[in-house]
Amino acid sequence: MDKGADKEKNLKSDGQTYWRSFSELYNNKAFRDALNSEFSSEELNGLRKNSKSSLSRRRFLALLGASAAFAAAGCSNYRGKGQIVPYNKKPEEVTLGIPNYYASTCTGCSSSCGILVKTREGRPVKVDGNPDHPVNKGKICAKGQASIVNLYNPERLKEPMVNEGGRFIQSDWNNVNSKIKEALSSANSSGKQVALISHSVTSPTFKKIIEDFQKAYPVAKLYTYEVFNESARRSAWEKTYGRKSLPVLKLDEARVILSLESDFLGTDPNHIENTRLFTSGRDVMSGKEFNRLYVVEGAATLTGFNADYRIRLRTDAIEEFVLCLISELVVKRKISPFAGDSQVLSMLSGYKLDEFAAKHKLDQKVLNYLLEDLLKNQGSGAVIAGDMLPESTHIAVNFLNEVLGNSKLYSRESESTDVHPLSTSDEIETLISSLNSGNVDVVIHLDSNPVYHFSPDYSYRELLKKVKVVITLTEMINESAELSNFIIPLNDPLESWGDYKTRSGFYSLQQPVIAPLYNTRQKETVLLEWTGRNYSENLYHDYLKENWEKSVYPMLGTTASFDKFWFASLHDGVAFIQEKPEASGLSFSKDAFLKSVPMKASDGYVLLLQNNNTVGDGRFASNGWLQELPHPISKVTWDNYAAVSPQAASELSVNSDDLVEISVNGRKQVFPVFVQPGLADKVIEVSLGYGRTAAGVVGTGVGVDAGVLVSAKPAISDRLYNNISVSKVSGKYELASTQEHYPIDSDPLLKDIHKRRGIIREGTWLQYKEDPKFLEKERHKMDLSPINKPPVYAREDYKGYKWGMAIDMNKCTGCGECIMACSIENNIPVVGKDQVIANREMMWLRIDRYYSGTPEAPKASFQPMLCQQCDYAPCENVCPVAATTHSEDGLNGMTYNRCVGTRYCSNNCPYKVRRFNYFDFRDHFKDSYQYSESFDLMANPEVTIRARGVMEKCTFCVQRIMKEREDAIRENREVIGSNVTTACQDACPSDAIVFGNVNDQDSQVAKYREHELGYTVLEEIKVAPNVTYIARLRNIFEKE
Amino acid sequence: MKKFLLDYGIKVRLPVILFVIITSFAITYYVSYAERNNIGYQPEQPIAFSHKLHAGDMKIDCQYCHVSVEKSRFASVPSVNVCMGCHAVARKDQPEIQKLTQYYNENKPLPWMRIHRVPDFAYFNHSVHVNKGIECQSCHGEVQNMDTLAGNKYKSVAQVSSFTMGACLDCHRTAHDKFPGLPNLRKGPENCSACHR
Repeated sequence: MDKGADKEKNLKSDGQTYWRSFSELYNNKAFRDALNSEFSSEELNGLRKNSKSSLSRRRFLALLGASAAFAAAGCSNYRGKGQIVPYNKKPEEVTLGIPNYYASTCTGCSSSCGILVKTREGRPVKVDGNPDHPVNKGKICAKGQASIVNLYNPERLKEPMVNEGGRFIQSDWNNVNSKIKEALSSANSSGKQVALISHSVTSPTFKKIIEDFQKAYPVAKLYTYEVFNESARRSAWEKTYGRKSLPVLKLDEARVILSLESDFLGTDPNHIENTRLFTSGRDVMSGKEFNRLYVVEGAATLTGFNADYRIRLRTDAIEEFVLCLISELVVKRKISPFAGDSQVLSMLSGYKLDEFAAKHKLDQKVLNYLLEDLLKNQGSGAVIAGDMLPESTHIAVNFLNEVLGNSKLYSRESESTDVHPLSTSDEIETLISSLNSGNVDVVIHLDSNPVYHFSPDYSYRELLKKVKVVITLTEMINESAELSNFIIPLNDPLESWGDYKTRSGFYSLQQPVIAPLYNTRQKETVLLEWTGRNYSENLYHDYLKENWEKSVYPMLGTTASFDKFWFASLHDGVAFIQEKPEASGLSFSKDAFLKSVPMKASDGYVLLLQNNNTVGDGRFASNGWLQELPHPISKVTWDNYAAVSPQAASELSVNSDDLVEISVNGRKQVFPVFVQPGLADKVIEVSLGYGRTAAGVVGTGVGVDAGVLVSAKPAISDRLYNNISVSKVSGKYELASTQEHYPIDSDPLLKDIHKRRGIIREGTWLQYKEDPKFLEKERHKMDLSPINKPPVYAREDYKGYKWGMAIDMNKCTGCGECIMACSIENNIPVVGKDQVIANREMMWLRIDRYYSGTPEAPKASFQPMLCQQCDYAPCENVCPVAATTHSEDGLNGMTYNRCVGTRYCSNNCPYKVRRFNYFDFRDHFKDSYQYSESFDLMANPEVTIRARGVMEKCTFCVQRIMKEREDAIRENREVIGSNVTTACQDACPSDAIVFGNVNDQDSQVAKYREHELGYTVLEEIKVAPNVTYIARLRNIFEKE
Repeated sequence: MKKFLLDYGIKVRLPVILFVIITSFAITYYVSYAERNNIGYQPEQPIAFSHKLHAGDMKIDCQYCHVSVEKSRFASVPSVNVCMGCHAVARKDQPEIQKLTQYYNENKPLPWMRIHRVPDFAYFNHSVHVNKGIECQSCHGEVQNMDTLAGNKYKSVAQVSSFTMGACLDCHRTAHDKFPGLPNLRKGPENCSACHR
């Protein structure tokens, strides 16, 4: 890497800050010097004479021999096998070797999905979705799955801390609590404000505690914020329909969906439910016609690349596009009663779709398809606008849906509810001005990090200096904690009690699955203590129970006792109540539409500040597993970047890994460039949540903070800016991608190789309807010359059960939740950015992304690629030590303790799914970070921890297969294939992955295998893989 | 002269040396077999517990204490509260029982010495074997007859059979001969992923 860039990056994200304020010990100069000189260039380039040891070689060998002899003599008990220590008093529910499952709620974002935590001998080892939860129905996103890493993070705060003269001193709870209570009462008596700053509050009981707190300290005020929020959508909804709560969209009933800059399948907080509902309309087994997805976007999102028709349009022109669409429908085609409304007609007079299409070079043919589809499916279409679009766009979209009668798809049964509304920007402004005028005595960050999250316009960091006492409640040191007087260590969500309410009709419960690992308490308990209650371990538990008995239990109207109800609710993780949305009808008012001021399009560059699937708003930055999860489109890990279109790249004369400076309203930030095919020409997208300066050894300094570009009073919206200036700056920065940076190959020999070799096979819905067997007929077009030759050697018939997998590419969106599930289930370590650059990432399952078409407007195909468990596995016959062998149930086994690391197998694998441990990555990554004691508890005890120098790969979750075999033997029955689910299958939000016994003709996997759209990858090499892919059908009008 | 010496070296000395090396290797190999496979390993336990008294004389079923052997991979060493189930009342006067009670009351872990062990990368499962009707004694020997030793009462249970992969496979291959009393027993799996994952 270029030195200039290196320096520039270090300046921006000072990785040392965390340690400097945390421990004096590690900060002394001698220690730092020693660290620096260990691998100084001098040391590496040549030996220094005076630094040589005085010990001669002979003497050293003599000592070595002597010490070995003494050691051998000393080890008389060479047969010792150590101790075997049972429980003293075994908890009743624990059976050694048998997992327990507990239902709880994920608090990783404001969606509050239900989770099911698997614990072994009392320690959580895996987080899955709770099947009883009505929103996420047994599935959970990558962040939720990886939340287990946060629990065991060795850098969690272990004791309360007090800031004394810039240094944090470990303290105890009594001392800290009494000092804080003093500060609170003095603020109360002097009439100064106590500001509580939190992320969105979705817990009714937590809200009640805050009300208690406000009763005890009437000067206390609660402010809530969320970086990724849907306030524009909500306020638009309120203005057009007069109600605050948004109804749930019945996406599964939508026949045609138009998504406007909305990544509802990718980074939307509710993408798990959306993916399930959306893909339920794309089921080849049902035989029903697919739904059709149109995406109009400037960014290159997962949703966009899953679209049947993707229209590239700069984001700031999207509202004009919507108005043109409305104009076309209402003015030209006289759809809906609004066609006779003079006010509406005059509002729409300036908008012409054909002129707009010509100006932005949109494909008129596709627009006609869209119009016809919307007209044909009135009442069963859905137009969705992205969270980052301003209120005016959402109002226009609501109007469009009303015109088309699509409001039928708004559920009358279920709506999202707000326990406590997010603070408006005006309320935040008031907080800032009272901070400025010195009217705030105490600031309490309730598990929030406003120093990092607030727009620099507020200069919140400086304002905190005017506050007498700053208290941060957090699990780990963060930017806000560093500027605090008191740091209160919090329990992990897996150690906490809680209740959550995000939708009408049910409550979701959170219960601890492990006792707090350190001397921490949960934020509710801490607040209760500050209101004057005495601490006990059950303080919040009792409060929660009491509150439920008073407020939730009566709503149920049941004759069962409260205790029964409570334990049943804890068991299920959800409690259903009789509750319907306030009013069943929706009354639309066009006034808001007539009054709204449309967003103005520009000609300059547009900046989109995007959400992501990994670190979120920065909350998960210290989670290495998430940092290493590849971006679903670009496959970049461990960084954010400025994604620019190929056209913009040539205009700015930059390429991937160059640096650009983006300036918005005078604030500047330098980002590495990634040339992203498919972006709209002048659109630049950057992900928020990176560039943390205090996120532990893993998260500090990863990526660049795009939050500094966020404006407090944005012209359009806080995540969308136009007319920004972009310029190339000197320097280079290497991005770590798990797929090559230049995916569309200019080499004609390699162009579309994935289609010619039959790796990706696709068709269209029309083609399939005309000829269901078209895929079989198309085989002749591929390079399948060796296909009729017999296999190299014969194999036995698989008489009993035989394992196989089917992946339905019509349902797979490429989201990557399966990758995380696999990594956590199979103890896969994090390798770090440098090793990803060296192609040494260890994930057993990857999602290949192939582009086809032009770099400007490519189509993408996603393909989960894992060990194909070939019947004639080419890896097996090259292994010199028989470490990889076949089993009689069709598994390609891998025996790590036999492997000597020749890597012949990987060399001979046509699918490149084997992973080699070049290092002991647990030791190699960040100075043995993963060897921290607490991480030992995280490992799945059913899977071997692999040593350095062995090959590893997907085993079809053989530990789960063996579990079913054990169960079958215990219950004296045959093995049932459908009882086994792989970790990736469990995690797949669209159920695209099916696993089971292929010899059982009634099983789902056998049906997929026999399906006319089923194919295997690289069929011509005749290795007989056991993963069947169902060819993707695009629901387009043309034939491919 | 030189020629003769070379001839003597090849014809006489070399075979003698090779013979000595091979025989001594073979003898050491067989003599140390038990030692290498830990047969006869009998560590000193923290409490003088007699399996003969409990399982032999009083005929308490193995699973009364080793509770999870039918359900799980692990047979499980009984937790102290299982012992106290009886010994809260029974034989309270004995010094060894008082020692046990002390562990229980002080809530201290009881550090039994491990006797049988397969490596961490081998996933042996007790439940599949026991549920097929294979007796505990088939691998662990006549534990019900293992008493505390007269010389050192803290030694009692010893390993009697080899716990190597060879021993596992030997039984898996010849299950029918080994267990004639279990006609429905299938041959044990021989593939790697049966034990290694």
